[in-house]
Amino acid sequence: MSAGAIIEREVALPLADVPPGTSVAVKAFGTTVAIFNVEGKLFAVGNYCPHHGGPLCHGHVSGANLPSQPYEYRYGREGRVLTCPWHGWQFDLESGRTMFDSSSRVKVYEVHVDSGVIMLTRQRRREGSR
Amino acid sequence: MIDCDVHQNFDSLSELLPWIDPAHRDYIRHSGFGGFELPNYLTWTHPHGTTRCDAVPPDGGAPGSDYETVRKQLLDPLDIEYAILTGEDILSVSSLPNPQVAAAVATAYNRWLIDEWLPRDSRLKGSLIVASQGAERAAEEIRAFGDHPDIVQVLLPCAAPAGYGHPQYHPIYEAAIEVGLPVAMHVGGEGLGINPPPTATGYPTYYIEWHVLLIQCAMSHVAALTFHGVFERYPELRVAVIEAGVAWLPSLLWRMDTDWKALRSEVPWVKRLPSETVREHMRFTTQPLEDPEKLEQALGLVDGLEDMLMFATDYPHWDFDRPDLVSRRLPTSWRKKVMGENARALYGLPLAPAVSVTATEAGRTS
Repeated sequence: MSAGAIIEREVALPLADVPPGTSVAVKAFGTTVAIFNVEGKLFAVGNYCPHHGGPLCHGHVSGANLPSQPYEYRYGREGRVLTCPWHGWQFDLESGRTMFDSSSRVKVYEVHVDSGVIMLTRQRRREGSR
Repeated sequence: MIDCDVHQNFDSLSELLPWIDPAHRDYIRHSGFGGFELPNYLTWTHPHGTTRCDAVPPDGGAPGSDYETVRKQLLDPLDIEYAILTGEDILSVSSLPNPQVAAAVATAYNRWLIDEWLPRDSRLKGSLIVASQGAERAAEEIRAFGDHPDIVQVLLPCAAPAGYGHPQYHPIYEAAIEVGLPVAMHVGGEGLGINPPPTATGYPTYYIEWHVLLIQCAMSHVAALTFHGVFERYPELRVAVIEAGVAWLPSLLWRMDTDWKALRSEVPWVKRLPSETVREHMRFTTQPLEDPEKLEQALGLVDGLEDMLMFATDYPHWDFDRPDLVSRRLPTSWRKKVMGENARALYGLPLAPAVSVTATEAGRTS
């Protein structure tokens, strides 16, 4: 953790409210965060797609066809790819990066469970630390 | 200045008889109503005629069929360093239902081009026209003639029953790479013979519709080449699109880029922005250069377009472009590239030595 970072935590919601295979949007850090339960593993990203603002909490999680040779399909990243419900941009849930080469990304939040409650963490740069 | 689209022609198909495979000679001579003819555009006819009226040779033959007329009307007065010959009637060869006849006619054309045109003038460079309906045979043709020093590209007529990215055409690309030639796609054969209707809504009513919408085939090929991953499979391949104009390019490239961001999982072998692939691998001739008031701004909408465009007159067609007028309409910093250097790089043409022609009189048209 860098010395310049501010770490903030917020209670999101009870784990029981997000069973495996579902997702929700919660208010946190003054914005909206989409939380996904992928077979018991939790992921949290900013809820709004950087493309046109689609609500990512309604997107589906799957794998994706990874870069390959012509006419070859190489499926991978199962359970780690989020597809925006609007235009279909795909994001890696762990890095927040688009599955195509771009500078666009969705913000990723650390997420853990404390006594049955989902907690979100974000790091911000301390002002003047950049 | 390099002219990337000059239509030399035979006066009639019978002119090719000495070069045609004997197995097909009788068919060419006697089939149909007194001899075989390639399909032409009688379906959509230009109201004033498709060629320049002043391009008819003194003997009354077909425009583009007489070297001396081409020299006096085009090569000399326009100070052309190289003229890339692209044929004329032969461009409908992709519409023939019989692939053997198509290949035989294409071969005869290529041999005629090599024997009758290319030796006449050091400014003339040839396009090896192949019948794309038989790709394996076309590949043989490319391997047989592609190393001729004055052949600078393989040429496929734009009209085809499938986008040129389709794997059925890949043998053509493999052969072209083997002999070190780029591949060109030139408008030709749209709506004729076995080819599909020339527009996405079928057969147009008027010539003007047909002509305006000729770009549809070219657009289809750009998309097919890109999304079939042809340039991923054949990184050395370069493709020129000829006689389809250019103003549609920004729109198509934007659409390809936008859709790829959402749909790339369908074509995961396309690993970068489609526009970047096109910019690296494809070239486009300027004619018929569209005529908006703000052409310069329109062209500026695509990064790197100055490296992708190559000037062409399209002589002797009715909609030919004058080099001085085109050059004037380009951004100043583009002119050298578009009017010659991009073509020189694509075709590997040296700076031209003194012109060597069989004729002695460098006349001009009066």
